[in-house]
This record gives sequence, C-alpha cells and structure tokens, in this order.
Amino acid sequence: MSEDRTPIISIRNVKKTYKTRNTELEALGDVSFDVFPGEFVSIVGPSGCGKTTLLKILAGLLPRTSGEIVVDPANFNIEREVGFVFQKPLLLHWRKVLDNVLLPIEILKIDRRSMVDKARSLLALVGLEGFEDRYPNELSGGMQQRVSIARALIHDPKLLLMDEPFGALDAITRERLNMELLQIWEKTKKTILFVTHGINEAVFLSDRVVVLTARPSRMAASLDIKLPRPRAQTVRTHPDFGRYALEIYKDLELS
Amino acid sequence: MKYLKTPLVIFVLLVIWQTAVILFKIPEYILPTPVSALEHLFLPQPDADYNWVMHIKATLLEIVLAFAVTSVAGISIAILLAWSDAIRRASMPLFVFINSLPIIAVAPLLLLWSGYGLKTNIIIAFLISFFPVVINTGTGLASIEEELLDLVKYLHGTKLQVFMKLRIPNSLPFIFTGLKICSTMCVVGAIVGEFIASDRGLGYIIINSQYTMDSPPIYAGLMLVSLFGVALFGLVSLAERLCIPWARPAGQEL
Ligand SMILES: Nc1ncnc2c1ncn2[C@@H]1O[C@H](COP(=O)(O)OP(=O)(O)OP(=O)(O)O)[C@@H](O)[C@H]1O
Ligand SMILES: [Mg+2]
Repeated sequence: MSEDRTPIISIRNVKKTYKTRNTELEALGDVSFDVFPGEFVSIVGPSGCGKTTLLKILAGLLPRTSGEIVVDPANFNIEREVGFVFQKPLLLHWRKVLDNVLLPIEILKIDRRSMVDKARSLLALVGLEGFEDRYPNELSGGMQQRVSIARALIHDPKLLLMDEPFGALDAITRERLNMELLQIWEKTKKTILFVTHGINEAVFLSDRVVVLTARPSRMAASLDIKLPRPRAQTVRTHPDFGRYALEIYKDLELS
Repeated sequence: MKYLKTPLVIFVLLVIWQTAVILFKIPEYILPTPVSALEHLFLPQPDADYNWVMHIKATLLEIVLAFAVTSVAGISIAILLAWSDAIRRASMPLFVFINSLPIIAVAPLLLLWSGYGLKTNIIIAFLISFFPVVINTGTGLASIEEELLDLVKYLHGTKLQVFMKLRIPNSLPFIFTGLKICSTMCVVGAIVGEFIASDRGLGYIIINSQYTMDSPPIYAGLMLVSLFGVALFGLVSLAERLCIPWARPAGQEL
C-alpha cells in the first residue's frame, strides 16, 4: 500500500545475541522489515522469539549485535517521538494516576501545566475518568495497563510501540480496549507497532501482520490485511477474516 | 483510648516504682522515688543545684541540630555514593571504618581539635548516628525495579532525572526508616557528647550528679532524655505519614 512513501522506521538485518557469562543466546536471527507512517503493524511469533527484544532495540533500550535501524530524520525524531507500552504496566507507585500519565512530559521537559488537561482527556479516553487522584495500587491490573497506555500517548508520539499490552486482560476488557485503540489510532494518525500472541487480535487491528519464526527469529511472513476500515466487531464475520487468521496460523506452524 | 494506653502503662510503672521504693526502704542515693526525682525539676531556682531550663534548652538544641545535620549529611552522602560507583568503591570502607570506631574512645581527640561545647557535641552525635541513614537511603536508592528505569531511558532522560523521578522517591520509605533510627541515636549521641565535652545539658547534670551521689537529678535527667527521644521519634513518624501517603501497608505502622 505504501511503496511510494518513505518508511518511518526501517529494520535492516537486525541481529541480537545475548551474551551471558558462559552462554550465548541468539534471540533475533536476522530481522528486516519497514514500517510506514500511519500504518498499524502487528508482530506475532512464538514465546521467546525476541519480540520484546526487537521493540527494546527500536526504542534504544538495548544495543543490537548487528544490523541497522534507519529512520526518516526529517519526519521522525526517534529520541522524543516514541511512545512505549510495556508488557507490564510499570506505574510509579508513589505517583497518583494523573502524575503517572504526565511522567513523559516531565522527562521531555515540556511545560507540565499546559498538559494537565490533555492528560485528563487521555484518561477519559481509556475509560478512567474520575481516577486521576488514585494511587496505582488502588487500581485493577487492567486499569493500570490503561493508565500506561495514556502515559504512552501524552507526548503525542509518532510511533507507538506496544508490547502485548492486553496480554494479561480478560477477553471482554481486551475487546473494548482493541476498539478504543483503533479509535485512538484513527483519530491521531499514529504509527503503531503492536506485539501480540493473539492471531485474531492481530488480524482485527492491523494493516499488516509480521510473523516471526522461533529463535533465532527471522521473518516467516508479512501479510497485508485488506479488510475494510473503519473496523467494527462485524469485521470478524468477514469471509477474509478467517482466511487471514488461518494463514498466520500456518506461518507460525511451519516456522 | 488508643492514645491513652501508653501514658497509662507509664503511670502504672511509676506507681509500682514509687511503692517499691517506700515499701522496701531503698536508700535514695541508690533509687529515689519518681516523685522526688520529678520534684527536683520544680525546686525554686535559686535553691536548686541546677538551672534546669538552661540545661534542657542546651540539650534540646544539640539534639535538634545534630538530627538536622545528620539527616541532611547522611542522605547527601548516600546520594553521592549511589551516583558514582567510583566514589562508592573508594569511600565506603572509610564510612564502615568510622562507624566501627568506638566514638567514646575518639571523643577526647575531638575535644582536642574543636574544644568544649555545641560543635563538638554535634560532631559526636553525627558520628554515632549517621551510618543508619546512609545505609538505609543507599538501599532505597539501589532497590528500584530495573524495568522502571526504561521509562526514563527510552525518552532519553538524564541521570539526574533518573534520581529525581525514580530513585529518590522510591527510597523515601527507606530514608524514613533510617531517620527513625537516627532520631534515637542522636539523643544518645548528644548525651554522650555532654558527658565528655560540655559544661551544660542533661548529660552534664547526670555525670555531675554522679560525682556528688545526688541521684534524684540523675533520674529526672534520664526521664527528660527519654521523653525527648520519644518525641523526636514521634515527629519523624508523623512526617513519614504526611510525606509518603502511598506507602501505608495496613496494620503495619511503627
Ligand atoms: N537480558 C537477557 N539476557 C539473556 N537472555 C535474554 C534476556 N532477555 C531476553 N533473553 C532471551 O531472549 C529471548 C527473547 O526474549 P524476548 O523477551 O524478546 O521474547 P518475546 O518474544 O518477547 O517472548 P514473550 O512472547 O514470551 O514475551 C528469550 O529466549 C529470552 O530467554
Ligand atoms: Mg515479550
């Protein structure tokens, strides 16, 4: 869909080998793919294949062993315009919910007062209106994860990295958050790189699904999901929906 | 009722003490009755052997200053040690060494260096009580969940931000534990200082009354000293409750 555009981020032959005292563990074998502006790309792959590793390398949290990450510097500042939703909520237990959401603002040294209203509306967006002054330990796991989503959006990042953000949630909350995430994405035109174990979730959300093999991981397939947008729950009954899901399933099996 | 229990226990103990002394006819120089000890505090000034108000003021000033200096210095030292591995490796043995010195044995030296009075007293109190502040704060600064650091790191925050936003708030409960220990040790330090290097204060009264075998003022002094210790501890606990409302595990308050 995007042959003529420049990718917002290009992953080129990225390899990662973890070296511990006496063992070496090859996590990422050789991974390459591009992500274009405004795209919703999901990454699926077996547990332990290096999905978290890949996101952390993109965010500059881990050094890569070799390969390149290329960004388009004219349109994307990778140091300030990334939002990261981690696998765990990782809230600061001494900060109230609102102050947790504002953490990236403080780190980026943006004027805090001008962002308080935005933080409140983001909390409302993820369904947490009225919880601004609670401490994290007063919230359920799902609510904490929603706070962490609001936090990842507060500085209006162009690229949103999400590491199985809904993995620990019940099915109903998960569906709701999927819909909310799509709405946020459509409204804000962000680029989203979304790691998940859920094949249906990946099909439902994405423009494209990247399938990784088991360790040392390579790209097994990259599948364009040409289902109509905007997507509602009814898209799950679309005849192509099952075909896509089955194809991803096969790619995972074969890999 | 909750707040009455402790005074009640103390009162009962005092009554037992009073009756025991009278009942067993214990001579006053060994154990005076609490009444005669407390009476000493209220003797009319010109007749009293000691100017209690002056001595109490001196001791209180020492305790408060010693506590303030030790808290600020102890926390600062801990932050410095956490900030730089090189500094920590180089200086930690020194702090352990200072802490394991018997301060009473070093006190005569301090007296030679900085003379009688407030300054020497505060130095002695500091040397006795700084270590728990440093160790507790250090533990708190180091005990941050590793993954939380990623929150600052991926937005390219600075080391200063890691300390201000993560490590220091995370260590507050530990800091208060250190300050609580410090609060009682500062009282000990101030009194020890007065034994050795002062011509005023409750410690001075205690040591001086011992020479003259005049025991009621010793007991009066002891009661006041422990009262100050309890009060300072209580103030630190109160500050803790106000400063870290998020960390209040139910039913586990000191
Ligand atoms: N710090 C580390 N040191 C050594 N090995 C590591 C480290 N972190 C991850 N690994 C290994 O690298 C491999 C990939 O880990 P990673 O967390 O990226 O997997 P993942 O695809 O995110 O798995 P999951 O789906 O279960 O979250 C795993 O086999 C893991 O054991
Ligand atoms: Mg993972």
